[in-house]
Amino acid sequence: MKPFAPTRRTFLKAGTATAALIGLGPSVLRQAAAQDADLAPYKSAKIDWQQTSGETITVAVIPASYFENLISLAPQFKALTGIDVRFEKIPPAQIRQKSVIDLTSKTGTYATHAADPMYYSLYDANKWVEPLDSYLADKTLTDAGWFKFDDIIPAWRAADSVDGKLYGVPYDGEVTIQVYRKDLFDAKGLKPADDLETFVKNAAALNSPNDRIWGTALRGVAGAGQNMYIYPSIFREFGGEWFKGGKLTVNGPEAEAALAWYVDVMKKYAPTAAANWNWPDIADAFSQGTVASYIDAHSSASVINNPEKSKIIGKVGYARWPKGPTGKRVSSIWNWGFPINAAQSEKKKKATWLFIQWAASAETQARTAHRFAGPTKRSGVNRTSIWKDPDYVKLMNGFGDNFVEATMATLQGDTDVDWRPRVPQWPAIGDTMATAIQSALSGQATIKAALDDAQRRVEPMMRG
Amino acid sequence: MIAKRIRLVAVLAITLLFLLAWVFPILWSVLNSLKTDSDVLAYPPKLFFSPTLEPYRDVLFGSASILPNLVSSFVISIGTTIITMLMAVPAAYALARLRFRGKKFAGFYVLATQMLPPVGIIIPYFLILRNIGWIDTYQGIILIYLSFSLPFAIWLLVSYFEDIPFEMEEAAYLDGASRMKTLWRIIIPQVRGGIAVTIVFVFLNAWNEFLFAVVLSGNTVRPVTVAMFNFVSVEQTLWAKLAAVSVLAMLPVVILGIVAQKNIVKGLTVGAVKGGGRR
Repeated sequence: MKPFAPTRRTFLKAGTATAALIGLGPSVLRQAAAQDADLAPYKSAKIDWQQTSGETITVAVIPASYFENLISLAPQFKALTGIDVRFEKIPPAQIRQKSVIDLTSKTGTYATHAADPMYYSLYDANKWVEPLDSYLADKTLTDAGWFKFDDIIPAWRAADSVDGKLYGVPYDGEVTIQVYRKDLFDAKGLKPADDLETFVKNAAALNSPNDRIWGTALRGVAGAGQNMYIYPSIFREFGGEWFKGGKLTVNGPEAEAALAWYVDVMKKYAPTAAANWNWPDIADAFSQGTVASYIDAHSSASVINNPEKSKIIGKVGYARWPKGPTGKRVSSIWNWGFPINAAQSEKKKKATWLFIQWAASAETQARTAHRFAGPTKRSGVNRTSIWKDPDYVKLMNGFGDNFVEATMATLQGDTDVDWRPRVPQWPAIGDTMATAIQSALSGQATIKAALDDAQRRVEPMMRG
Repeated sequence: MIAKRIRLVAVLAITLLFLLAWVFPILWSVLNSLKTDSDVLAYPPKLFFSPTLEPYRDVLFGSASILPNLVSSFVISIGTTIITMLMAVPAAYALARLRFRGKKFAGFYVLATQMLPPVGIIIPYFLILRNIGWIDTYQGIILIYLSFSLPFAIWLLVSYFEDIPFEMEEAAYLDGASRMKTLWRIIIPQVRGGIAVTIVFVFLNAWNEFLFAVVLSGNTVRPVTVAMFNFVSVEQTLWAKLAAVSVLAMLPVVILGIVAQKNIVKGLTVGAVKGGGRR
């Protein structure tokens, strides 16, 4: 999957010298140039897009195809608003660090950045970012009828809000679902699991390391966004509550049962190396036909369907998260949203909002997804309406059986915005929990000892 | 005789084992950089495959070319090395030879700057550079790199200067040479090995630095260590390209190492034998 990323300059050229490029440049450039001229769908919004013309804003994003698609449309945004956008690509691990440094020091380097939804509590506690409700309500800045904010996937909107106040607008997101090999399941007469118990039974039935097929794989490597991405869902499905009587609680019987389930599955039915795997590794292994099922982000579908390396195209099916013992399904959700950096001039804030509104609008979402001229199409569009658009659905269903249905059902019914503890101390809590889960998995500590130790460590964090 | 031979074989075997462990990751990167994505993932790992230069072509001339990043790395590393050496050689000589007030304090102060963990000073550095508008500039990054390369170079060089017999300098003075001339003509040729070692290490540290680079760089000045991470996307790791970038990033250091090897070995052994110096 090679991200299509022409430079800004090539696009500007395409805009001014379309004629010269026809017949010379690749067809994508011609199409993009044609799109360039068509700003009508944006201009139907009853706001003055040019109100901050001349401003320059810097936007930090991560290297990912869904942002590359957006970057390539920046000339259209410039033509629409007169605002120059400089994009800076920062790896996911460092974008948090760099944006927090920028926010603490109030330097206003990044007008907005692709934000980790778990950080909004921290941002809010320090008033580093703007509450966005006033921007949404301001008729000179937002045409509510055109922007249709409610069309954005509710689970992601909730994740980008703190105490009901919105701090970020989701641009692209994901949700974890069950991914399985239809052919292997069919051969043994298995169905995708509806509950965790069946999930284990399926994994056991298909686990055959001698033939280099393992039953399953879950994220094993330690990290707030790695093993602490998948474990919280299990914890919540086993009836765990992060806040018992207002106190952060990470140990106790539910936590022990959840962690025991995770450790058991990983030890018995996952490749040994999976203890160090992150999601790309799981998808890589699955694409090579060595893993029979996994639970991870729906967006991994594009990797396991990459014709350049996948051996299992056409053999993939999808299903919702299996239910836990409580009968609940709790999917892990994620989105990259855009907040407004509070350390900026009012005019810059407005320019930033215009950018956010443009990026999150249905029109731009479509132009970066199924209507994108390049080869990579986004699977994380933020709008319910697009997930119902026949063109988009057709494209997405190319990933395998039940893809759109499973994704939408999960997004609508199986998400829980508090699947991880959303508090300002999250970064430290996430790391502590990740270490605990890893030490239980590696056998360095018993499950109970690992969780009790984590509890001892998180308590002072919550006091401080 | 036999015991000696057994010992030799044992030493060779152990050396070979360590060498293998050390060489393996490099060899692995080189192999992977010549594979297609599907060959990278093949199991069992393919030792024989039809090599492709595609990954190299992509990372050098593709849409995410790392050529500008290699240029950034070169400018930063060479700039840092030159300025460091220009300042560290006289400073180290002064600390080793001259008597002046506050010498002890100065020596300690140079070292003290190295006692803070880098993470602790990154925010102040960011703020300072930001205020003077030097974020994402060569001068900004080189300035910060000097803050750790200079103390390191000075302290490494001091030990070499101290190892030179004082009598050599005295002889030069008796012949009427000035201090500068003595330093240039007599001392520096003697510590050539040490200087070569220092150059290599300073260059290496600057070339491999990541933590400061990621925070203080931007779109204009972005060394290859930071750019490399773009091949580990959130969607997937582009193993072949990542390996190709790694190999390209390794090359200059390897070449420098080979060129300077003779001097390094000499420099390291000279530095190791202590006590032969003055006083």
